[in-house]
Amino acid sequence: MITQYHRPFTLDDAVAILARPDAIVLAGGTSINADPDRAPKTAVDVQALDLAGIELEGGMVRIGATSRLQDLVDSALVPVVLRDLARREAPNTIRNMATLGGTIGASDPESELLAGLLAFDTRVTLARSGSSTEHALADVLADRSILNGAIITAVTVPSGGEAAVDRVSRTPMDRPIVAAVAHRSGDTVRLAMTGVSAGPTVVDPDNVADLDPPADFRGTADYRRNLAEVLAQRVLADVTGGEAS
Amino acid sequence: MTITLTVNGAKVELSCKPQDSLRAVLRGAGYYSVRFGSETGETGAAAVLVDGVLISADLMLAAQADGHEIETVEGMSSPGNLHPIQEAFIETGAIQSGYSTPAMILAAKALIAANPDPTEDDVRDAFSGILDRETGYLRPVHAVLRAAAVMRGDDPESVDVAFLDPLTSGAASDQDVTALSTIAPKVVPSVDVPDTRIVGHAEVKVDAIKLVKGNPAFTDDVVASGTLVAKVLYSPHANARIVDIDDSAAAALPGVRAVLHHGNVARVRYASGGQSYPNPLPYDQVSFDNRVRFVGDRVAAVAADTEEIALAAIDLIDVTYEVLPAVFDENEAILDGAPVIHDEPDMEGAHDASHNLVHHIQAETGDVADGFAAAAHVFEQTCRVHQVQQTPIEPHIAIAAWDSDERLVITSSTQVPFHVRRMVAPLLGLPVKQIRIIKPRIGGGFGVKQEMLIEDIVGHLTIATGRPVRLELTREEEFISSRTRHPQTITFKTGVDAAGKITAQDMHVVANTGAYGTHGLTVQMVTGLRGLSSYNSPIKRFDCKVAYTNIPVPGAYRGYGAPQALYALETHMEDIAAELGMDAIEFRRLNWAVAGDPLDIAPQLGEGDQDASVMPMITSCGLEEAVAQGIRAIDWDRRNDPAWREPADRPNIRRGLGFAMAMHGTAIPGLDMGGASLKINDDGSFNLLVGATDLGTGSDTILAQIAAEVVGVGTDDIIVYSSDTDMTPFDVGAYASSTTYISGMATKRAAELVRAQIIDRAVLMLGVDADSIDLHDGKAWSTDGQSVTLEQIALSTLHQEGQHQIMADASYVSPESPPPYAAQFAEVEVDIETGQVTVERLVMAVDCGVPINPLTSVGQVEGGLVQALGYGHCEEMAYDADGRMVNAAFGPYKIYRADEMPEIEAILVQTLEPSGPFGAKAIAEIPKDAVAPAMRNAIANATGVRIANIPFTPERVWQALQDA
Repeated sequence: MITQYHRPFTLDDAVAILARPDAIVLAGGTSINADPDRAPKTAVDVQALDLAGIELEGGMVRIGATSRLQDLVDSALVPVVLRDLARREAPNTIRNMATLGGTIGASDPESELLAGLLAFDTRVTLARSGSSTEHALADVLADRSILNGAIITAVTVPSGGEAAVDRVSRTPMDRPIVAAVAHRSGDTVRLAMTGVSAGPTVVDPDNVADLDPPADFRGTADYRRNLAEVLAQRVLADVTGGEAS
Repeated sequence: MTITLTVNGAKVELSCKPQDSLRAVLRGAGYYSVRFGSETGETGAAAVLVDGVLISADLMLAAQADGHEIETVEGMSSPGNLHPIQEAFIETGAIQSGYSTPAMILAAKALIAANPDPTEDDVRDAFSGILDRETGYLRPVHAVLRAAAVMRGDDPESVDVAFLDPLTSGAASDQDVTALSTIAPKVVPSVDVPDTRIVGHAEVKVDAIKLVKGNPAFTDDVVASGTLVAKVLYSPHANARIVDIDDSAAAALPGVRAVLHHGNVARVRYASGGQSYPNPLPYDQVSFDNRVRFVGDRVAAVAADTEEIALAAIDLIDVTYEVLPAVFDENEAILDGAPVIHDEPDMEGAHDASHNLVHHIQAETGDVADGFAAAAHVFEQTCRVHQVQQTPIEPHIAIAAWDSDERLVITSSTQVPFHVRRMVAPLLGLPVKQIRIIKPRIGGGFGVKQEMLIEDIVGHLTIATGRPVRLELTREEEFISSRTRHPQTITFKTGVDAAGKITAQDMHVVANTGAYGTHGLTVQMVTGLRGLSSYNSPIKRFDCKVAYTNIPVPGAYRGYGAPQALYALETHMEDIAAELGMDAIEFRRLNWAVAGDPLDIAPQLGEGDQDASVMPMITSCGLEEAVAQGIRAIDWDRRNDPAWREPADRPNIRRGLGFAMAMHGTAIPGLDMGGASLKINDDGSFNLLVGATDLGTGSDTILAQIAAEVVGVGTDDIIVYSSDTDMTPFDVGAYASSTTYISGMATKRAAELVRAQIIDRAVLMLGVDADSIDLHDGKAWSTDGQSVTLEQIALSTLHQEGQHQIMADASYVSPESPPPYAAQFAEVEVDIETGQVTVERLVMAVDCGVPINPLTSVGQVEGGLVQALGYGHCEEMAYDADGRMVNAAFGPYKIYRADEMPEIEAILVQTLEPSGPFGAKAIAEIPKDAVAPAMRNAIANATGVRIANIPFTPERVWQALQDA
């Protein structure tokens, strides 16, 4: 429960408040404001920090952290597959509030968009007091403590290459039970999936059969493993022009 | 903190706490159109525009909105006029309960501002964050397209009723139905039906203005200052005794006004199902018990000054439980050795509580053994239908308060105000005459509000504190602690002769009524009634055990036992046809019960006071026409085309078409009763007072149409008030598809008495015989060309001569329940590598007699189809091993969104039902009955696999494909 609210105008001010033990970054608020936990928190609202904007720089797309998911959907600079995943990530009311930085911070275990960003080998830029560092998204998702005291300022993805995505869900716009995203840049192919592990994860295309998925009421481990093989084969075939790995 | 918002163009300074949502702050400032749907923001009922963009105000802190521009629907029009988007919603018939209509209108506004010529996909995406259980999204989407066209200056598509040529009358037709507007209500007229002026027309809903403007109309829109907030402590265990409750810390918390539990509330037995007196047994509930029987069962309740204090107090109640073993499966619960769920000595009326057997329902029309002996083939199969929840977007909410006469007034979102008044009285220790129940507008019910669920809690708390008390369930509580559909295990056994005619049908059910009986008897009686009425069989038997288990409590849900029965029956009949090598429809046609056939199991499975010597007969049936219309609409022949079923360019996809037939009931004969009262006003308008409860179904409009037809005015001259136990005549309430037929007939009779009084005065004023007078267009006309207005007649009778109030009342109860019929068709695609099923199209052709209002009727079908789709496809209540629901939120509990819908189509087939007002039968529940079996039969057509259980989630389908 937010018991203190701040809306700083500079990154330095924001990072300073963030140093407090109960402080959290408040971007769109779609995750934080839905959390029933009533423990008191101090919110650092980043809306006034001017961290939005999507630009093309040297073959990479730089997406400001407070860009809304709908901004990604609307941007011709963002790779088509990622635009589609941003659209599918949430219904429009939430897309209009949720930010890309917040999506990374919230780290929803079923996020197709995060899986897509993993497949694109996304980099995340963090600001701390006086410094700015860059990390692989995979590292940030694997170790959330990297985000402690830091504000995500930007996300960078390659603008080229081939990408493909497929999923199985109960209905066409439902969260996927399992989703697979593949991205090929030259000879390098990256595969990422949801629904086969504790969260969105990079998967070795040669080891799909070895996955140990968690089970829930929408899919047993065996079924998810089966889906992983089918979907991985489909997206890998799509990005390699029909030659499945 | 203080924030500044610009709301609808005006700067407003508001004080709030950092944790306050924008929704709470806007409502506190009087913007009641911004509504509660869930605590996690998916419903969109609280959607507003912030800087022109649609967001969920329940997910934004007011603090985040500081300095920004907010638009709500209140800013879109002023009294007496409407924004074109609002007009489009009204004209298209896009409003059912109207609870989420303001959100949809704002979504439209933002979309059209950004894109004046949106596609249908654009509109569906704009609606993706607004969940709707009532409309199927079809009319709201087309309302936006209509508004955009009008605002561009283009012609919108027609919304006028489209009359389809009958296909089974013998006459040929070259009508091109594909050219018809998607949202024109489609009606196949019957030559038997006479012309009427108001009835049978797509009149605009009488409550449309307040709904489309977001004017205060719902329970939460009128909250007196000083109202306390109630919260409930629920059980974390599926089965436990409460050994001790220590409320001292909770009661001592500043701002807490009462803490109630079994230690300080009288123990009075009841059954919570909203039904007529005497409520069916067992009486196995008390307001607060010393025992909990499911995760989510009631333990204690608190009233406090604020929600925060109430929640803190809940946390401070210290309960010591003795946890007991639990059982969740209906078949296990009735075995020896299962945990006994109701062992209290004062429990009344279960069949055998020691075996968790609540009821054992048995009915037969002969000895099925004889019928099976005479059969050439006997077929038997078993299926299980699962637990789903009604999920109205407005949860349960009730506010209790003492009025100045020290009578207890409870305003509640209820379908059954009169039953609630009668049922809550003994629990509160008050006489019925000291209680008043007011039903304002309701944001969806579907049966979950056919219950005296929380009115006793707010009543107890108002009595304990002397203050007004408000209780609104959270979405999680609505899932777990209200009511659901009854799961059942159903076995059908059918014998057929060599020609394919049924010789016997035997239906065996074990039903799961959860922790308490409530509707457990009557839902299952309907299961037997509906399972064994669709087809003629010389011998029928129904045997049903209803079991207690420790799951959250099933109750009333639209369909009320019929969706379960018809899933089992229509999949069974499909499979028999396939085994016999007969066409799926042809086999059914050989056996289905039509006009002139008896409803021979009904006398044994009816709830009401019926004459046992009279066999109910079917008196109207449009099934053949409905089937023919559906066959054409879905392009049924594709089912037999292997190239269509296995598309060469998509090797992992199979396509299929499926059919299911539904016959339902219309009200409960000999039981359901409603009253209506009509009086004239000085200007020739009328007040119509009815106990019938419009929960968004449009019943206020239907009843106004019936009265208007009889007294010869327009619907805008009938002012409807419903319903209020002090102000309106009794009505059982909105359930059993009874309102049009029962309350409609009461209204018609009252109007006929008023008509006679009007004519009496016209006779005096015109000097002619009564026989030469007709009423229409607001006047009394005589055949010699004279006329007098109803205003003149009113002024004359109220003020001038032989003064009296022209008024009359009437009640109606029916000895019969004429069945509506439906032909349901479904088109699906199955990915055979993953099991994923995509529903492409649903078509339902319905015979509801004469639809009083074709626009609201198709709206009922379109909305019902989507709920039925969820039942078959994707909705399910899932639990962990301890009986805790794991998906008690929208999202994990999946209901369909606007941007993923299949095509849906409703076709109304007219018949003239002699016993119904202007020929009407019911339409409210039948849309729930046949989608799941039609889907299952379509999957069978596509893949050859006959799946037993619902829902058709990917893994279930995949497993069935593996096992085949």
